[in-house]
Amino acid sequence: MTGRATASGAPVGGAGTAEDPSAEAPVVQSAGGGGRGAVWRRVGIVVAIAIVALGVAYWRTGNEVVVTQAVLTGLMIGGVYGLVAMGLTLIFGVLDIVNFAHGAFLAIALYITVEMVGRTGIHPYVALLVSVPLMFLLGAAVQRFVLAGAIGRPLENQLLITLGIALLIDNGLLLFFGPNPRSVSLPGDSGVQVFGAVVTVSRLLAFGVALVLAGLLYLLLQKTRLGTAIRAVAANDAGAQMVGIDTRRIYMATFAIGTACAGAAGVLVSPLVTIEPTTGELFNIIAFVVVVLGGMGNVVGALVGGLIIGLTEQLGAIYLPGQSPLLSVFIVFVLVLFLRPQGLFGRKA
Amino acid sequence: MKRPLMTAMAVALPLTLAACGGSAPAGTEGTGGGGGDASGETITIGSLHPLSGAAAADGQQMDNGAQLAVDTINEAGGIESLDGAQLELASADTQGAPEVGQSEAQRLIQEGAVALVGTYQSAVSQNVAAVAERNQVPFVIDVSSADAILQQGYQYTFRLQPSAAVLAEQGAQYLAEVSEAAGSPAQQVAILHEQGPFGTAITETFTSEAESLGMEIGPVISYDPASVSDFTTQITSVREAGADVLMVAGYYRDGVLVANAVDTVKPGLDAIYGVANGAFDTPQFPGEVGDAGEGFFDANYRLDMTNPDTQELAEKYRDEFGDDIRTAAVLSYDAVRVIADALERSGDASPQAVRDAIAETDLESLIAQTGPITFDEAGENEGAAPILMQVLDGKVQQVFPSEYAETEPVYPATPGQ
Repeated sequence: MTGRATASGAPVGGAGTAEDPSAEAPVVQSAGGGGRGAVWRRVGIVVAIAIVALGVAYWRTGNEVVVTQAVLTGLMIGGVYGLVAMGLTLIFGVLDIVNFAHGAFLAIALYITVEMVGRTGIHPYVALLVSVPLMFLLGAAVQRFVLAGAIGRPLENQLLITLGIALLIDNGLLLFFGPNPRSVSLPGDSGVQVFGAVVTVSRLLAFGVALVLAGLLYLLLQKTRLGTAIRAVAANDAGAQMVGIDTRRIYMATFAIGTACAGAAGVLVSPLVTIEPTTGELFNIIAFVVVVLGGMGNVVGALVGGLIIGLTEQLGAIYLPGQSPLLSVFIVFVLVLFLRPQGLFGRKA
Repeated sequence: MKRPLMTAMAVALPLTLAACGGSAPAGTEGTGGGGGDASGETITIGSLHPLSGAAAADGQQMDNGAQLAVDTINEAGGIESLDGAQLELASADTQGAPEVGQSEAQRLIQEGAVALVGTYQSAVSQNVAAVAERNQVPFVIDVSSADAILQQGYQYTFRLQPSAAVLAEQGAQYLAEVSEAAGSPAQQVAILHEQGPFGTAITETFTSEAESLGMEIGPVISYDPASVSDFTTQITSVREAGADVLMVAGYYRDGVLVANAVDTVKPGLDAIYGVANGAFDTPQFPGEVGDAGEGFFDANYRLDMTNPDTQELAEKYRDEFGDDIRTAAVLSYDAVRVIADALERSGDASPQAVRDAIAETDLESLIAQTGPITFDEAGENEGAAPILMQVLDGKVQQVFPSEYAETEPVYPATPGQ
């Protein structure tokens, strides 16, 4: 079961940035288990898929620079998708809440950044110091005062509440900040050459921080008492209560951490997007796809899922020119769900 | 535990998305004398624009533009031939959704609007035009480019902005003329367009016109404006194909991404050439992308900044709303003027009389066009034409044709260098 996850990282390796699959590998091992032989066979299959994918891309374009650029851009965009999806997957996995407000929380962080940069002229990333704690508190408050009442009720209740929160935030931002597009620029942001392709510093940084954040969240979940409690609640709510875990506090903490992740993501993507009240919605659908693809509640899965989706989008645009990139994304999504319904890193229910 | 969640999500997602578009509260601004007789003291004009949602920035500007026109006309004494009757604007929020626009149009008509202006999105305008036709109430389109809207033989719909066909055809001609005058005629034009009806229609007409002018077209790349987040791959393939000009037909957010990608990839083109582009000629664009947007062209309809009346309007708008007026808002302003002019000439505030008077319109426009506003059989504005603009020294300037030029075009512009 773990092979496919490594597998999906393989196109990454094929592109020349070999550290990703190898970085994922131990996680995969610990998360899943399964025979070593089976794993290697699947790795082989997926390396083959990756080679074929790149070969077809090359055959379609006849130009290796374009293919390199597509792979590089795909990885960078994928890192952002993974970054956005991490908080969502945590909330999804532990609280079983389909959080439609995640994009709206991200939009709040965007506006915190744009206001701070606009008023004080500081470096955009300094906004992390304000945005992350603020969004943590907001998340805690929303869970405690709005969502807590819906726990144990039908799923639609929570879903509709988060949808309502999203509409409230979107239109609140529209009311307070107006509809005009805003922007944040990163000082010294320029293009960097990689194998004839180019990438901007802001994207590289967002990508790097996504990796760091995934690592931190992974450590938090695996190595700390809080993380252990969160995993216990996710695995078995009633059992966790019986061993003395205050599940209400864990729910609140998890939602707050998830929202804080949206806060961090918002600051990091602020130089990459046009900031409007509806900007957060752009990420919602993709983030859900990434969460389900990577396995609900799995932070590393979210990162790998994001990379796969980013690559699929870019290579899909080469295979199927003139089609929405979402077409190829959903083809891959449906295939993965068909072959592995619990997601790449998910455990069987 | 997870499986029911997935099912719930699968069921709920489309449902909630549909609910999101359909049942959100309708435009909240009041309509004043609801159900009032149109021939009373005030005459109601319905304004349908996307006041919320992704196009809210333009929608709110356009609603402001229409309101400013109503206020100006009222201050000048209202409609004289109707004993100084005052105008009133009933604003509705289409949310950019065709079905919302349709029901809001119906509501405004039932509440006594004698004419409608709107709507920005072609899909919305298409539905509103059908409602207007059925109720026999005139509808003046300020912005919406799709050719198909006026190909239905409608009697009650008129359009101020140039249609997609006119924009693309003139755009190709301007490119040929400007590049030839500069001594480096455009030879291979790559096209990057949004995949909807707008981008596709522009691309088709532009391609046939450019080919007949001796240019070679290719590669043609399309994208989804709602989800695209980066253009470096597309710009790289344009560079690798060896094109010397890139034509872009899209909206604001994607236009900004194009500028950023061009700045990163440095494709070495002679020009980035927008046709009816939603970004390259907005006052916000140079501020958002900085030097990356320097030299970008756009062939589009445009408020005529060489006209003193337009300058006055721009100043008034800035005073009242604290923002630079966009061309779309000037079109809404003109649309209300067209209706007020029709009321003045007919001396009768029934929708039928207003429609007949609009068909006879002959009115100077605040938009740069080839002549006054007059409507042909189909309802298209016969004077409508695009002009060419270029971002120079961090400011959008009119550069071609020469009668509207604020300054000379710079060609080749070598954007991103």
